Amino acid sequence: MATEVKLPRLGQGMEAGTIVKWLKAEGDRVERGDPLYELDTEKVTQEVEAEASGVLLKIAVQSGEVPVGQTVAVIGEAGEAVPDPGGARHRDERVTPASKEAKSSGSEVAVAGARHHDRSGASRQQANGGRIKASPLARRIARERGIDLGGLSGTGPDGRIVAEDVERAQAAPAAPAALPAGDVESIPLTTVRRTIARRLTAAWEVPVFELVVSADMTRANALVARARELDPDVRVTVTDVLAKLAALALVRHPEVNVQFADDAILRFPRANIGIAAAAPQGLVVPVVHGADELSLTELATRRAEVIGRARENRLRQEDIDGGTFTISNLGMYGVEQFVAVLNPPQAAILAVGATQDRAVVVDGDVVVRPMLTLTLTVDHRAVDGAPAADFLRTLKSFLEEPGLAL
Amino acid sequence: MPELSYREAVRDTLAAAMRADDDVFVMGEDIAEMGGSMGVTQGLFDEFGPERVRNTPISEMAIVGAGIGAAMQGMRPVVEIMYEDFLTLSMEQLVNQAAKHRYMSGGQLKVPLTIRTQGGAGWSPGAQHAQQLEAWFVHVPGLKVAFPSTPADARGILWSAIYDDNPVIVFEHRLLYPIKEQVPEKIEPIPLGKARIVQEGTDVTVIAIGPLVHRSVAAAKEAAEDGISVEIVDPRTLQPLDVETLVASVKKTNRAVVAHEAVTRGGFGAEVAAVLQAEAFDWLDAPIERVGAKFAPLAFAPAMEQFVIPQPADVLAAIRKTVGRGD
Repeated sequence: MATEVKLPRLGQGMEAGTIVKWLKAEGDRVERGDPLYELDTEKVTQEVEAEASGVLLKIAVQSGEVPVGQTVAVIGEAGEAVPDPGGARHRDERVTPASKEAKSSGSEVAVAGARHHDRSGASRQQANGGRIKASPLARRIARERGIDLGGLSGTGPDGRIVAEDVERAQAAPAAPAALPAGDVESIPLTTVRRTIARRLTAAWEVPVFELVVSADMTRANALVARARELDPDVRVTVTDVLAKLAALALVRHPEVNVQFADDAILRFPRANIGIAAAAPQGLVVPVVHGADELSLTELATRRAEVIGRARENRLRQEDIDGGTFTISNLGMYGVEQFVAVLNPPQAAILAVGATQDRAVVVDGDVVVRPMLTLTLTVDHRAVDGAPAADFLRTLKSFLEEPGLAL
Repeated sequence: MPELSYREAVRDTLAAAMRADDDVFVMGEDIAEMGGSMGVTQGLFDEFGPERVRNTPISEMAIVGAGIGAAMQGMRPVVEIMYEDFLTLSMEQLVNQAAKHRYMSGGQLKVPLTIRTQGGAGWSPGAQHAQQLEAWFVHVPGLKVAFPSTPADARGILWSAIYDDNPVIVFEHRLLYPIKEQVPEKIEPIPLGKARIVQEGTDVTVIAIGPLVHRSVAAAKEAAEDGISVEIVDPRTLQPLDVETLVASVKKTNRAVVAHEAVTRGGFGAEVAAVLQAEAFDWLDAPIERVGAKFAPLAFAPAMEQFVIPQPADVLAAIRKTVGRGD
C-alpha cells in the first residue's frame, strides 16, 4: 500500500513551505526516519524525514512553495501503481486566517489552520486539476513579463486565460516597467522576506502604545562583568541580563505575558523570550524558552546556541516557536532609542538602545551615570497602559537593583 | 487579361504544354473524342490527334502504370483519373511504384508523371463519386500533392506539375470547374510549395484548401460584420507544404482554423494543426479549430449531402470559437 507523503505542518501557524531540494531520488530505497527533502518554512530550512519505509515511487513536487497537507511524494513498494497525487492536491484546509493566526504561538494553544498563500489561484487550480488554464500565447507573455498567471482570471472559453487577460494585467501596475533599466535591481522575495513582510504588515494593524523609560545600568553592568569573571567560557551580555530580568518581571506581571486572540486573552505561565537577530537571510527571532527558570549562564548558553544557528541559517522550527515576549537590542549600533514593531501574535516587544554615560540628577546633584533607554511597544487590545507601565517600572528597578529580582 | 473558367484554365494549360513540348501527352478514360466526362479535355483531340490524346481501357491501375512507364522513358505524361474515388484502384502503382522508383534507383530514374483527378460533393454524386482523399497521398514520401482552388492557380500549378521531375497528383474539384476569373495572358508557373494569402486579416487565420477557400471567404465576410478580421491562406500544394507562410500568418493572428471538404478525422487539417502547434505554440491564443466533413459516407440525398459537408456557417462557427465568441 503506497503512502502519500504530505507536506507536514512543522509549526503552529505554518501555512506552506518551500521545497528546496530532494535528498532522495525517485526509485531510491528509503527507511522511516531518513532525511527525505529540505524544506524552507517561514524562517528556517530543515530536513524532513520519511514517515514510511519503502521505495520513493514518485516525487510530485520537485521544488517550490506547497501548501500544508499537499502530497509531495509517494512511498510504496517497487513496481506498485502510484496513486494520482493530483487527486489529493489542494485539499482545502482554509480557515479564517486572521483569527487563527493570532493563536499561532504559545505551547498550549490549539493548532491553527492552514491557509493558501494565494487563494484565488489555488481554488482555480483545484478546479482544473492543479493546472491553470491559459493559452500558450498568454503563458509566453506572462513568462516574458514576469506576471503570475495564478492571480489572473480568464475571459476565454471555460475561463481560459488568453493573451488579452495578461495584457490587461500588465497594464494595471505600470510603475516597475517605467524604471530605467540598469539602475534598479529587482531582488526576488525569499520565503523569509515574504514572512517578514506579511507578519509586520499584520502587526501594523494592531493598535499599540509605546512607553519609554531609562534605567541606570551601573549595577547591571557590574553584574555582567562579574559573571564574565566567574565563568569566562560563557560570555554573558547585557542582552542576557535584560532577557533574564524581563522574564522575571513578566512572571510577576502575567497580565503582560499574553496574546490577543479574537475571543480570549491567552495568558502564558512561562516567559519565552525571543531575541531579534540579524541573520544573513534576514530578521529572525530565535526564542529562549523558560527564561524565567534558567540561570544567567544557562540563559547565555542557550542564547548563544540559537543565535549561532540563526547566523548559520540552521534554525529549527522549535527554535522560533512559542515566544511570548521579544527583545530587540540595537544598542551595539549606537542607536540611543527606538520604537520596535510588534512581533505578532505577541503582545509586547522591548526596544533596547545603547548604554550611554549621561548627566542625571541624583539626590539634587548632577552626576554621570550609564543610562539605558527602553521602549516598550504594547498591543492595546490585550494590555492596558497601567499594567504595562507597572511591568516596565519593575523591569527598571530590576536593572538598577538586580537583587530585587531574587 | 483573358477570363477563364477553372475547366478552361486546366484545358488551356494542357494545350499550351503540348504545343510547347512533344514529350507531353494526355491519357485517360473517354478523354479523347468525348473530351472527358467533366469536359476538361474538349478540343484537345482535334488539335493534337489520337497519338497524344489517348483513350484508355477502364483500368486505373493500367492508366497510372502506363504513365509511370512513359515517364521513366523520358515523356511527361498527364493522366486523368475520372473520379478521385478511383485512385483507390491505382494505389499500388502510385504508392509502391511512382513514389519509389527515383529513390530505389538512386536517382537514375525519374518519374515526371502528372495525375489529374477530380472529386467533391455538392451535386449528389453519392458515396462513391465525391470523396476527398488528398490526405492519403500526403502520407506517401515520393509523391507531390496539389489542390488549386482558382483558375489562375490551376494554370500555374498544373504547369509546374507537368515540368516537375517527380510524380504529382493534382486534385480538381467538380464544383470549381465553372468558377471564372481573370488570368494572366501568359501562363505564369506557380512553384509547388508556395501558399497564397487569399485575404489579409488580423484576428484569425483560416487555412483552407479547394472549395473551402471560397466558403471561408464567405464566412470571413460575415465575421467582418462582427468585427472579426479573418486572414485566409490557401496552401495550394499540400506536399511540399509552405510551412513558413502558414506559421508567419498564425504568429500574426494568434489563432487558426483549418478547413477542407474531406472528412475531418485524419484529414489534411490534422497535419497542418500539428505543424502549427509545433512551430507556433507560444503564439497560439486558442486551440486550433478543424472544419471538415462529418465522419460519414457521403449521402446521396441533397439535403443530407449538404448536412455532411462543411458549409460557410461551419467555418464561421470555428472562427467565432477561436476568438472566444462562440455560442
